[in-house]
Amino acid sequence: MKKVLSLVLALMLVLTSVAAMAETVSLKVWGSQEDQAMLAEMVEEFKAANPDTEWDITFGVVGEPDAKAKYLEDPAAAADVFSFANDQLYDLLAADALYEVTRNKDEIVAANSAGAIEAASANGELYAYPMTADNGYFLYYDTSVLTEEDVQTLDGILAACGAAGKKMFMDVSNGWYIASFFLGAGCTLGLDENGKQTCDFNNEKGLAAAEAIQAFTANDAFLTGDDAILTGGMGDNIAAGVSGTWNADAIMEKLGDNYAATKLPTFTCNGEQVQMASFAGYKLVGVNTMSEHPVEAMMLAEWLTNEANQVKRFEARAMGPTNINAAASEAVQQNVALAALSLQSQFAVSQKDVLGNFWTPAEAFGTAMEAKDYSKDLQTMLDEMVAQIIA
Amino acid sequence: MKRVRKRANVGNIVIYVILSVMSVLWLLPIAWLLMISFRKEPGAYTTYLFPKALTFDNYVRLFTETSQFNFPRWYMNTLIVAVCSCVLTTIMVLMLAYTFSRLRFSSRKMFMNIGLILGMFPGFMSMIAVYHVLKAIGLAKSLVSLVLVYSGAGCLNYLVAKGFFDTIPRALDEAALLDGASRNTVFWKITLPNSKPIVVYTAITAFIAPWVDFIFVSVIMKDDYQNYTVALGLYRMLEREHIYNYFTQFCAGAVLVAIPITLLFIKIQKFYVEGVTSGAVKG
Amino acid sequence: MRKSLRRAWDGLTQHFGALFEAFRKGDAWTRLSFVVMGMGCLARGQIVKGLLYLAAEVAFVLYMALFAWQYLSKFGTLGTVGMHKEWDEALGIYKRTPGDNSMLILLFSVMSILLIVAFLAVWRSSVLAGYKAQRLKERGEPLPGFVQDVVSLMNERYHVTLLTLPSLMVIAFTVLPIIFMILISFTNFDAEHQPPGNLFTWVGFQNFFDVFWKDPMKSHTFLGILGWTMVWAVFATFTNYLFGMILAIMINKKGIRFKAMWRTIFVITIAVPQFVSLLLMSQILHDQGPLNSLLKQWGVIKQSIPFLTNTTLARISVIVVNLWVGIPFSMLITSGILMNIPGDLYESASIDGAGPVRTFGSITLPYMLFVTTPYLITAFVGNINNFNVIYLLTKGGPLVTDYYQAGKTDLLVTWLYRLTVDKQDYSLASTIGILVFVICAVLSLIVYNRSASVKREEEFR
Repeated sequence: MKKVLSLVLALMLVLTSVAAMAETVSLKVWGSQEDQAMLAEMVEEFKAANPDTEWDITFGVVGEPDAKAKYLEDPAAAADVFSFANDQLYDLLAADALYEVTRNKDEIVAANSAGAIEAASANGELYAYPMTADNGYFLYYDTSVLTEEDVQTLDGILAACGAAGKKMFMDVSNGWYIASFFLGAGCTLGLDENGKQTCDFNNEKGLAAAEAIQAFTANDAFLTGDDAILTGGMGDNIAAGVSGTWNADAIMEKLGDNYAATKLPTFTCNGEQVQMASFAGYKLVGVNTMSEHPVEAMMLAEWLTNEANQVKRFEARAMGPTNINAAASEAVQQNVALAALSLQSQFAVSQKDVLGNFWTPAEAFGTAMEAKDYSKDLQTMLDEMVAQIIA
Repeated sequence: MKRVRKRANVGNIVIYVILSVMSVLWLLPIAWLLMISFRKEPGAYTTYLFPKALTFDNYVRLFTETSQFNFPRWYMNTLIVAVCSCVLTTIMVLMLAYTFSRLRFSSRKMFMNIGLILGMFPGFMSMIAVYHVLKAIGLAKSLVSLVLVYSGAGCLNYLVAKGFFDTIPRALDEAALLDGASRNTVFWKITLPNSKPIVVYTAITAFIAPWVDFIFVSVIMKDDYQNYTVALGLYRMLEREHIYNYFTQFCAGAVLVAIPITLLFIKIQKFYVEGVTSGAVKG
Repeated sequence: MRKSLRRAWDGLTQHFGALFEAFRKGDAWTRLSFVVMGMGCLARGQIVKGLLYLAAEVAFVLYMALFAWQYLSKFGTLGTVGMHKEWDEALGIYKRTPGDNSMLILLFSVMSILLIVAFLAVWRSSVLAGYKAQRLKERGEPLPGFVQDVVSLMNERYHVTLLTLPSLMVIAFTVLPIIFMILISFTNFDAEHQPPGNLFTWVGFQNFFDVFWKDPMKSHTFLGILGWTMVWAVFATFTNYLFGMILAIMINKKGIRFKAMWRTIFVITIAVPQFVSLLLMSQILHDQGPLNSLLKQWGVIKQSIPFLTNTTLARISVIVVNLWVGIPFSMLITSGILMNIPGDLYESASIDGAGPVRTFGSITLPYMLFVTTPYLITAFVGNINNFNVIYLLTKGGPLVTDYYQAGKTDLLVTWLYRLTVDKQDYSLASTIGILVFVICAVLSLIVYNRSASVKREEEFR
């Protein structure tokens, strides 16, 4: 018996020493499909910059919008380093999915914009590495129809569009966009100390915003639909549209020399002009708590989001940097869409504090407005909507 | 006599008219799809009805630009999965249907009732559990696991086939059994050849499943891009970053998916008609 | 009901009785086979059979010891140790050590329990096989060899052969997940109890209580959606069935030419994946879509018709579009069976001078209903769970503010999908899923077992 035991022990010793000798660090990275080639390039440079370690880095295709869902399905099989949209932060934290950023934290905080750091933080801890600041929306317009003066106010746009027989596009039946009226009017969407959603869209300001939405959707120049309607109609029947950077290329192609973008306009709320707000979303890189090599994973995550790679990301895919130096570069400033986004960003609200319950009821309200369904009065609908959001 | 024929002719003409109108209605969306697949201008929506220019590029690009959307690879994956699960499902459905229609054994009723209600559970509720079971037996993210999952789900649709078997006269079986054939021989040599319509129906439904499912496969394949099926790959083209540039290719891809299924049907339609009209089935 | 319970009880006592008898009358080998499986057969010379039983036992023991025990032992609590977090000074990170994963504990416990049940059945059959071999030997009769056993599987016990593979597949990919999901509804598995960081545990009937009593908005939504789901399922099933059958009759009618062509035309629409054709349909029906712009061009309408955004119109639209999707399928299935209608029935009808409509009503329809009840039940349940058509066409919309996270064309399944994907509220979703499941199961069991095609199953040959 003793003999067997010692044999087993010896065997184990040999095995572990063999393992230690040939220790390769295996990491998996998730990124969206269109980022794969770029990611592979960045990882090659990362390996070259850290030649002391034997790396085995593999890739998986999971885009930022799907990261949370795919992570929760099987955390153990999820990537060590993955990018995600920052509105998934709380859900990921609820599953204790993310390592705190503790190594080089000060440098990272200093290098990135305050908004991006805030978007990646919770309870005073930084949980992810900011990657891009482009998940927001602003106004695209056709300069052959609208002047810089017109696009300052919603009324101006609608009047000019109406006069030219064109439309102003906004997907009001979508919680993401419709919130810009409520948030602009001064309503808030936040979290209480228990992490529950709070929402006051049904107060007086909210009612004023709802009346503005009602007037907007009832206007003949108003047009709703999805991205396809916007990109298909821009330049034809649409002269102005609210959307984000992912449509920049398509709209530029359609408008040609008449392509322009700027912050969202102001709207009339209780007789006053109020700036439309927006959601600011970021894409972040996180390190999986199930990772076997957390330190190396953090090195890689930091590498993927450093200044050089953010510049690269901008050059390859026109994604707005969170890195302060990268964002200040000439090229980024010249990008029409990103400039408009950054102009709008001062009126933007972090999307981090919006939980999953918000979207469906907000969309329901927008749908009723678009359908001009006034069978219930606005206050009742707002009350029902808020009751669901905070449920 | 003449009047009767005339009435039949009028009746037939009415039927031809109805069939033609219905065909147009059914084919219009398909024509729309074909048209978009040849459209030169990108985008999911245009303000005009007919394309300004036509091109064959959307099809060509599916096979040449594979770095982002590896269409040929996914197409092969799907074809393999579809053929395997079609064969497996059809065999299993026929086995189950034959068992419940022809064989008598204790707890037969119980098995049938269980089979009936099992199909009623919303499938996607169980996807994550299925994934973990597959992972535990070492099959996660493989094409084999897809074959198993589709066949496992498909074989619960045996009731229709069982109803069909019930209509095949039993005398044929009994004669063969008296001649000393085993149950196994009866199944393969007598029952199967007499049930072509139901074989065709089962085979087609089973063959189609892998081409159209995009939810289950995404849970099973996760980040393993190379093992996607064509439906999931095409569905990815509709994401907001891609839809403007890829929508016309998406339609082209859909046309290419429709082709093998149509061909398969035309091919086995021959058996279908033969099986129905040969009179082998009880008349 | 009582009768079937009675039968089940009788069966149970019979099963144990046989085991008891084997133990009482068995010799040493047979009794040994209670512990070491296959011994009864091995001792009597049924080598292959005995070894197979033995191998099954070894495999089972290994499985339990190496894999199942770590999960089964925690089944009662679903895990007690959460993810451990500790500051690691050397690395400069909050080092995590994974704890128990409640979901995997639950899932693999269910899997192991199913395997235990299966193993008990094998164990029982091994004991009985050993005892049978002993008795045959005592009586001096010849023992069936392995080859003969296999031959009997091709004939007298052919049902065993045919059922094994499908049963295994169904158990692994349907039964197991269903049990798992049923058990989930008795836990608090939601966004706040999300593995691997947090544990979830048993909460009894809390979720059922919540759905029906605690939250009026949820129960209002549940009832509203249930009502529409039923309406939808009835319309979707019967319109498809009826029109599919009429189409099949027209194509199959004597004197109609190009039968293959007509059939192929309709099958092409099956060939285009649903997520493509339905997406196109939703584009075509869109406010700005081609249908509306055509109608406007022709001057039929001034304002766009809100096909998919007005509650009533959207409900009609999904049913009509579903006709487009479903008729080819029902045409396929019905035309096979239509051919089987005994010709003499029609002959006597035409002698009576019945027109096509009366023939259809008095002969075709009753016959078809009789034969296709199972198909109708399957189709009905399929429509209750028809995720694709609704999700791809309207996504459940138009959404309304007085439904809890749902819209007016949402079916229970699409609502469930939203609840799990957007909110990770698995326990609530499972609870609703089970309620739907129970409704479907009871309804279809009653209809199926009372239907003529089952009652008169035997006389129909």
